Amino acid sequence: MSGSWTWRVALALLLIVPLGSACKKKGPRPGEGGAGAAGGGIGEEGLGGSSLERAKRGLGPEENGILKDVHFGFDRYDLDSEGRDILARNVEWLRQNPRAKVELEGHCDSRGTIEYNLALGAKRAKTVKDYLTTQGIAADRISTISYGKELPLCHDENETCWARNRRVHAVVLGP
Amino acid sequence: MRRIMLCSAVLMVLAARGAHAVVTGTIVGPGSESFPIAVVPPKDLGGDPGGALGARFAKALTRDLDLSGYFKLIDPKTFVENPETSGITAGEIDFVGWAAIGAQALVKGGISAAGNGITLEVRLFDVPGRKDVPQASKRFSGGRDDVGRMAHRTADAILEFLTGERGPFDSKLAMVSTRSGRLKDVYTWTFDQDDPVRATDERSLVIAPRWRPDARALAFASYREHMPHLFQVDLGTRQVTRLVPGPGVVLDGAWSPDGTRLLVTREEGGNSDIYLVDRGGQVVQRLTDHWAIDVSPAWAPDGRRFAFCSARTGSPQIYVMNVDGSNVVRVSHTGSYNTSPAWSPKGDHIAYTTRGGGGFQVVVTTPDGGSAQTITSAGSNEDPSWAPDGRYLVFSSTRAGGHRLFLADRDGKTQKQLTRGAGDDTSPAWSARLE
Repeated sequence: MSGSWTWRVALALLLIVPLGSACKKKGPRPGEGGAGAAGGGIGEEGLGGSSLERAKRGLGPEENGILKDVHFGFDRYDLDSEGRDILARNVEWLRQNPRAKVELEGHCDSRGTIEYNLALGAKRAKTVKDYLTTQGIAADRISTISYGKELPLCHDENETCWARNRRVHAVVLGP
Repeated sequence: MRRIMLCSAVLMVLAARGAHAVVTGTIVGPGSESFPIAVVPPKDLGGDPGGALGARFAKALTRDLDLSGYFKLIDPKTFVENPETSGITAGEIDFVGWAAIGAQALVKGGISAAGNGITLEVRLFDVPGRKDVPQASKRFSGGRDDVGRMAHRTADAILEFLTGERGPFDSKLAMVSTRSGRLKDVYTWTFDQDDPVRATDERSLVIAPRWRPDARALAFASYREHMPHLFQVDLGTRQVTRLVPGPGVVLDGAWSPDGTRLLVTREEGGNSDIYLVDRGGQVVQRLTDHWAIDVSPAWAPDGRRFAFCSARTGSPQIYVMNVDGSNVVRVSHTGSYNTSPAWSPKGDHIAYTTRGGGGFQVVVTTPDGGSAQTITSAGSNEDPSWAPDGRYLVFSSTRAGGHRLFLADRDGKTQKQLTRGAGDDTSPAWSARLE
């Protein structure tokens, strides 16, 4: 079940990645922070997939997939100007890839209660969805899910790490 | 001052039970660890050669008494009688010898086993008074696997006799843990077990386990079907079923004290609100309708009110509300981040998590928000859940590295580590007393 889903995402990415590469320079480049060789041997890492599917495969969450992550302040779910800039580029990519669908994952830093952070992550994902739809991206192309503080990118207890974890990550799904 | 008040309260309780029942000496509150007691393993009266069952009983009882924070457990190496050969009735006991090593109270007993069945007789003795205490002396019969519960019931009865309030140890804890290294699952633990036992096979994200009042099932949210939904696991059959049907996202759910309804947090369109649903998961009433986060409902024991966390004033705070949605009252008045309320089964206190001091701490207050007291200080301490006696709480703490479950009394005077091992133990829930 989960295997077929994983394959579906992998397949979708194979289709989408070349499209992404072909888009304007302005668009975020695929593969950033993704696969790559490390050290002498061949590095291999799965691309894409939801943060939970990745965790089930023993992989950490993906940071900045095809679309860049948007970040938030502590206990906040409003966009700052940097977030709006990133989303403007994401909107551009979604316009150029009209068959692509995205799932917006709301994430939080490690501080605070699990349930409250789940609710907060949902707010963050909704903020990004609202921004995308007001920019003309069809709502049925966008789903949302909150992982709260359950699947952090990094595990250190400092502001740099917390800031990275307070994000909405967009997983690109196939058409 | 506090000690004196506690002592007199205890003596009044004892006096009401009749003068013959009074243990000589006084017992002060949890955290004092001052009342000296000796726990002698029950002697083999047949069928327990080597004393394995007796040793298990003594270990579990000793642990409970230690966790209560009232007692100084006397080192078995100093015991003046051989557990295997000495008598177990008042006429046969060397009270002078026990008094000489400082024992104020003494637990002795006998155990007999046949097949899987065991019979255990256990007595509490007042050492200076040189007599047994019938109110805290019991005869149990059951299976070999019940010896831990027999110890918990003994501890609960000793606490009831000495403090006027029955102990909480014949109960279970639930938690979310990553201790098997495969994402998260729900685990349960009893006070005689070395390690928590896995109750679910989700290998996914699980959220907020909450006991059904009969302690035979747990509600929890799981990401097993991609989005989080509310499930229950029957601890007898291990069967997992949906509690709230349909595609709607549910973040947490708590059973009413009578087990007929649940309060759940549903998330829709990015916003979370609290709903009352029936046993079949059908909505009875929507209780909050606000653009801000509302989450973590916690029933009052009378089933008429509940506490919850809401960010309606711009930061998360604790509120109480009637179960018909009326009469919203804010409970937390200090701090800019207060979450995860838990209402004492006695009704007189609400505990919650507050952000402060570089971490998170557990606060205990009254349901009207009076006399708030922070009961933790070391590490980060979150997600309190009350013991069935309303005297103790369990919560997760990082004070020993990683997340572990700790116990404290409601004044924070005694603090004890409960779980150890790999992974993180979070979101504890303390069951009602077992039947």
